Amino acid sequence: MHLLIEAIGFGVASGAVLALGAVGFTLQFGISNVLNLTYGSLMSLAAFLALFMINLGWNVWLTMAIGGLLIGIASVALNRGLLAPLIGRGMQRTSLIIVTASAGIVLQYVIVAVAGPSTQSYGNLQGATLHFLGWTLTTGQVVIILLTVALMACLHLILTRTQLGRAMRATSANRTLARSCGIPTSRVSDIAWFLSGVLCGLAGIALAITIESFDFTIGPIFLVPMIAAAVLGGVGQPYGAMVGGLVVGVVSQVSAAYWDPAYENVVALAILIIMLLVRPRGLFGANWSSRKLLA
Amino acid sequence: MSGIEFYIVVLLVYLGTDLLAAWGLNLEFGIAGVANLAFIVVVAAGAYTYSILSLGPDTGNGGFQQYVLGFRFPFFVAVVAAALAGAAVGMVIGITGLKRIRPDYQAMVMLVISLMAATVVGADSGFLNGLAGLSLVPNPFSSLNSTFGPWVYVGMVAFACLVGYFVMRRFTGGPMGRRLRAMRDDEHAAAAMGVSVVRLRLMSQAVGGAFGGVSGALLVAFIGGWSPGGWAYVETLALLTAIIVGGMGNDFGVSIGTFLIAVLLLQGVQFLPPIRSHSGLTEALGWIVLGVLTIAFLWIRPQGIFRERRPRYRWRLGAGTRAGADSGAGTSPAPPS
Repeated sequence: MHLLIEAIGFGVASGAVLALGAVGFTLQFGISNVLNLTYGSLMSLAAFLALFMINLGWNVWLTMAIGGLLIGIASVALNRGLLAPLIGRGMQRTSLIIVTASAGIVLQYVIVAVAGPSTQSYGNLQGATLHFLGWTLTTGQVVIILLTVALMACLHLILTRTQLGRAMRATSANRTLARSCGIPTSRVSDIAWFLSGVLCGLAGIALAITIESFDFTIGPIFLVPMIAAAVLGGVGQPYGAMVGGLVVGVVSQVSAAYWDPAYENVVALAILIIMLLVRPRGLFGANWSSRKLLA
Repeated sequence: MSGIEFYIVVLLVYLGTDLLAAWGLNLEFGIAGVANLAFIVVVAAGAYTYSILSLGPDTGNGGFQQYVLGFRFPFFVAVVAAALAGAAVGMVIGITGLKRIRPDYQAMVMLVISLMAATVVGADSGFLNGLAGLSLVPNPFSSLNSTFGPWVYVGMVAFACLVGYFVMRRFTGGPMGRRLRAMRDDEHAAAAMGVSVVRLRLMSQAVGGAFGGVSGALLVAFIGGWSPGGWAYVETLALLTAIIVGGMGNDFGVSIGTFLIAVLLLQGVQFLPPIRSHSGLTEALGWIVLGVLTIAFLWIRPQGIFRERRPRYRWRLGAGTRAGADSGAGTSPAPPS
């Protein structure tokens, strides 16, 4: 029983990071309806940018904020420079996924070319270990959980209380209709990509903080559990992605505790495959399969 | 055998095995339209099958590796078994693609299968020796004279390519090729014309898988070892780049593309002078160029360097008009052949 509670604690900690990334991923997917596999490499980029800044001596939480902003800008550039033009030319979905995978590879190996392939670390930033509720977590993990909760609350407020949020939800649901209502959809797209890029950057740096030693593959490795979380919750549904992140995190950690730690990732992969084959719209999602590709 | 000579042998063996793999993937993706991002798994299946059927029991060689089976079958038996294993694994992967979901979800499922296979094989050290992989895989030419033993192996790979080429032509040309292309271009229309889409998809995955399996077997027998690090999902993307650059659906184009990417690019970068402060830079450059090439070709010239040639028929529809025979010739009605 104690093992189960502890595993749930680890699950919440890893689920928080997964939720951060999954919500960002699902925002991108909801707005543009394209499976952006470059997301993982952008997380790696965030981790390495933060490494550069930390080595300059800056505070880790400041670097997290700056890293998030930089990746937000990079995401907008990715959409404007690569994805939107291709979607506008009518590229098929299969080719797009190959394009995003290739862009991801290019970005990963640019990181290798600049920073080398060896594993890096921020040093021991996690802080003291805390014990509460039967959980054993480091200060760093607790801060990340609280940060995730705060960001999700902010996102909820933006989506429901602001005009921008309404515009984003409208664009996500039916872009053409939104445009006819006078919503500047390409600007709303840019903002959505920026926000999801910020979440991507924060997730990448949070990963690097909790994993402690990482290399250029950290993003792509964790991208798949994040996609699993996003698909579980329903692609395009931010609240679904939050729940999905938590579920995938807890289930992975509990199965790692009771079964075999090496298979931790396999559980997330299995969840993804089963969801895609059985119920692609996820637990909370609408039927997205028939939506056309939209820039 | 001098260093240069052996390097040429290595290049030729790599070229031959990559050609077989590319032809297999071209059959699945270029001709049949199945985006199999898990292709490298069938190559790995072939390599592992060859290994566990030729290594002998795992207690041998000091018992430093654990794996299932462990026979000492002769070379040809093991290669044929590898082809069958590749076909079987290909079909299993193909079954997951039968569910009608949107194409990029399908591609995602294949990608995840590839990741899962690598993780499971790497994690279970009793199955195929986990992350360390299998080594000391016997080489059929090791007992021969070391001067032309390797060249004999090149000859064997060339023979396999020759056989593979004729087998592939049976599938990419003629009625079967037309059926596969019809299924790729418009599944519903093809089904309406009596093409059994399910059977054709599974068959293309099985045949493509067999090609991949033989490729893996020939490669592992030459290299002598195989581990999960060597079949990450990026390897499928490298093969895809070769096919896309060369020309999907065009056998000659795919062969040229494989030579350009698998040999010239990925081997050529190793000739760049290493820069001391950055290890792994030249290999990284190769992958960067690969990714950029894929994106550039998909953006600007998706047909590849050599376009797919659609068959042209001599027969005309109406008297004196070439209306039916020319444009989009693959769809014009031909007399039963």
